[in-house]
Amino acid sequence: MTKESVTDPGARREALYALMLGAQREDALAMLLEHAGAHGFQSAVSDLLEPVLERAGDEWHRENLSLAQGYVAGKIAEDLLVAAVEAGGDLLLDVKGPVVIGNVEDDYHSLGRKMVVVFLRAAGWKVIDLGNDVSAKDFVDEAVKHGARVIGASAMMLTTAENVRALRTEIDARGLRGRVRLAVGGAVFKLRPELMDEVGGDGTASSAIQAPELFDRLWAASLAAEDL
Amino acid sequence: MTGMERVLAALRGEPADRRAFTLALSLYGSRLSKCPTKEYFSDPRRYLEGQREVARLVDPDVLFSPFALPFEALAYGGEGVWLERFPPNIRKPPFREREEIEPLGDAMFLDRGVSYLVESTRLVAEEFGPAKPVCAVVTAPVDLPAMLLGIETWLEILLFDQDRARRLLDIAVDHFLRLSGAYFAAGAAFVAIPVMFANLRIVTQALLEKTILPELTRAFAQAKGPLVYHHGGNRIVDHLGLCSDLPNVAGFLLDPRDNLSEARDILGPGRLMLGNVSGPGLARMLPDKAYASVSALLADRASDRNFVLASAHADIPCDTNPDTLLAVRRALEDAGAVA
Repeated sequence: MTKESVTDPGARREALYALMLGAQREDALAMLLEHAGAHGFQSAVSDLLEPVLERAGDEWHRENLSLAQGYVAGKIAEDLLVAAVEAGGDLLLDVKGPVVIGNVEDDYHSLGRKMVVVFLRAAGWKVIDLGNDVSAKDFVDEAVKHGARVIGASAMMLTTAENVRALRTEIDARGLRGRVRLAVGGAVFKLRPELMDEVGGDGTASSAIQAPELFDRLWAASLAAEDL
Repeated sequence: MTGMERVLAALRGEPADRRAFTLALSLYGSRLSKCPTKEYFSDPRRYLEGQREVARLVDPDVLFSPFALPFEALAYGGEGVWLERFPPNIRKPPFREREEIEPLGDAMFLDRGVSYLVESTRLVAEEFGPAKPVCAVVTAPVDLPAMLLGIETWLEILLFDQDRARRLLDIAVDHFLRLSGAYFAAGAAFVAIPVMFANLRIVTQALLEKTILPELTRAFAQAKGPLVYHHGGNRIVDHLGLCSDLPNVAGFLLDPRDNLSEARDILGPGRLMLGNVSGPGLARMLPDKAYASVSALLADRASDRNFVLASAHADIPCDTNPDTLLAVRRALEDAGAVA
């Protein structure tokens, strides 16, 4: 049975998940494009990709998925987004947000951030990606400029995670605590969960795939704080 | 017994007057000797002074050469970063995505950072070697490309460009053999290798079996002395069986989350096992809690002669309370002899 012949949605998701686990990026994209051709890009994302990413996120959280597999999942999502934009299809992009993302000052480990950006965009978020080595001032300036309610700060190591404190201070000093929520992430936060509170983060996710859920939560918390 | 005798007893599965132990106190020596970190990680004599203080205060059975792996990558270029109370790190990797990397050969020893690493090992081994084995630390050949190119680029190459991966691994294996050889020549009793990219948290099982393990086998088989396989920051028990026959590996250092009984079942009796106190975790631990935690661990391993108590993960942070370190030592002494 070829993957094209699989018509049952559950079986298609299962097949896509298996391709992702096996790092078969091109075959996975082909399957998604075939589905998009028949049902539209929005369906390819909502009915195939998102459920598979959700499952992958759960498995990653339980440490049953490797970074390589998460990376491939990100690449597959990115490939589909590029194809959707090029095709000018029905995919709903930039319907949430905007949010601001970057690696904190002195941090150049971009992998996690790039994966978060891809998964957020696939989930409909408009993302302002500031890149590596972003100062606290630049994070907040950009958040204010774009009206972002969430800043995502990535740091891989303890040395650079300490620089999140400056971002917390900057947000608070400008009277934005509550309105602008601070999401933190990176390998060190997984290794030392208590670090999130220590450096002043408002939330974290255990994998890039779970970032959209975190941003949904923080965005809602920001809105709720304003209603009070 | 001396530290060397205790470690050898653990290696051979013989009784000892107490459990052999070591803590990764490379960085901590800078605190004890009140030496600024940059000076400590630049001048081998200052490093030796720091390790003298480590030996005086904690008296571990094994001492470490500088735990400063970024120097290996910085020998190829790139930009380092110095932060007080931390070892040097890489701010920008030496290479960008598409550049081909040339092997350094023995020219690596002309690099200031690498020569510091080797000379520090020589000084510590010269002073302590007969009584306390000195453990040098080398980047795993499967990890060096990540330090040279960044994790993302290395992952991309490993997954999607096997030819380039092979060329990079040739360079990395050559690098590993030259540097580990230099450490052994300088007096290191063994070399520890933190291995990140041989872990199912990082790579797929197919990559592990088809690419990573064959390269580790090739590299380790040519090593000039005994190696210790370090968990590299992730738990390893679920794939330990795949790594257990790697050549020249005298022992395995387990992650704090790894179950030691499970690891023993996989390795079988007679293999040296080290672990698995969280080194960075000691910074947040009160002395009483450290004593209780280490005592429980030692009680669990009481009948295991081939076990060495060791800290896992990275170097023990500078802000760790010295009393916590002494509590670890006291727990060890109170646990008594290895029968």
